[in-house]
Amino acid sequence: MSMDDAARSDDDIVVSVLEGRTRDYEVLIRRYSRRITLFVARMIGDNDEARSIAQDVFLKIYENLPYYRRENNFSAFIFKVARNMALNYIKRRRRTVLFSRLLGRDLDRAPFRQDPPRLLELERGEREGELNRQLRRLSEEQRLALVLKVYLEFSYRQIREVTGWSVPKIETLISRAKSRLKKNLRLQENGGKAVNPAREQ
Amino acid sequence: MNCRRITRRLSSWQDGELDAARSREVERHLRDCPACRGRWAGLRELQQQLLLEPPPADDPFLAARVMARLRPRPLRGGRLLRAAAWAAVFAAVSVGGFLLQAALAGNGAPAPAASYSSVLLEPQEFGLLAVHDDFLDLFNGGGREAR
Ligand SMILES: [Zn+2]
Repeated sequence: MSMDDAARSDDDIVVSVLEGRTRDYEVLIRRYSRRITLFVARMIGDNDEARSIAQDVFLKIYENLPYYRRENNFSAFIFKVARNMALNYIKRRRRTVLFSRLLGRDLDRAPFRQDPPRLLELERGEREGELNRQLRRLSEEQRLALVLKVYLEFSYRQIREVTGWSVPKIETLISRAKSRLKKNLRLQENGGKAVNPAREQ
Repeated sequence: MNCRRITRRLSSWQDGELDAARSREVERHLRDCPACRGRWAGLRELQQQLLLEPPPADDPFLAARVMARLRPRPLRGGRLLRAAAWAAVFAAVSVGGFLLQAALAGNGAPAPAASYSSVLLEPQEFGLLAVHDDFLDLFNGGGREAR
């Protein structure tokens, strides 16, 4: 990426791509790919899967570029798309697990080919930290707000632009997410150790 | 000063989202209250833990993979051309339907309503409408397959 590219605004690049200079789209990809991949990874709790979803996000954005209303907020636009694709992935994963349970498979013991997410979860066991698992146990709204705040360093206003939620709602979601994580990760509370949390499934 | 009120604000304070007056209130309270200091220590510890989680490895080929899969966008005026093509298809099908009906029904055939609806019922075959539908899906959080 040249210095010139770094100085160009997102909207300038979008215009250029829409005028037929397709190669310019690469500038936007390079500008956002690390953040989008990180965002998706934390939302779905899976670093590897996040790469392929990030790729789909950029393809989707490109297809829908003509519908992006230029108002200097390409960042909110792209994170909205990434949020939807991450949530869709989670929904599909949940459906697959439910479906497998309906079939009466014992997923914890017998490998079941049509259920890759759950298998991945098992394989991951060792290398994936307790933390990722706890993140995934938050409500989707809490996780979305917290991930944008902690990992993307968005302000509450920027989070509002992506989610459409009010700032007080965002404040509450993040605060509750932190309390819940603190408790579940058995971090210090009231100066002492929290009691061993009951596992909720 | 109320510990409950402060506790509620600790998270926003940590996120740098409190105004100066409220921040000072929190700071003053923390100096005097060991219980809230404990809560604050917990929040800081949590933040550190969250940031310890390794990020996904950089994917140096992501941009190249995406670029390789892009369909080149038609040059300026392309949308107009596509609209014209769409109109032409529409007209052709309508006229075709009309002629077909006329041929089948002999003279005095009614207007080709069936042909119009058969076109409109299958928008996914036409680029313009299909992309638009996908886009709406996206913002409704719709479940259409991503690829
Ligand atoms: Zn206190």
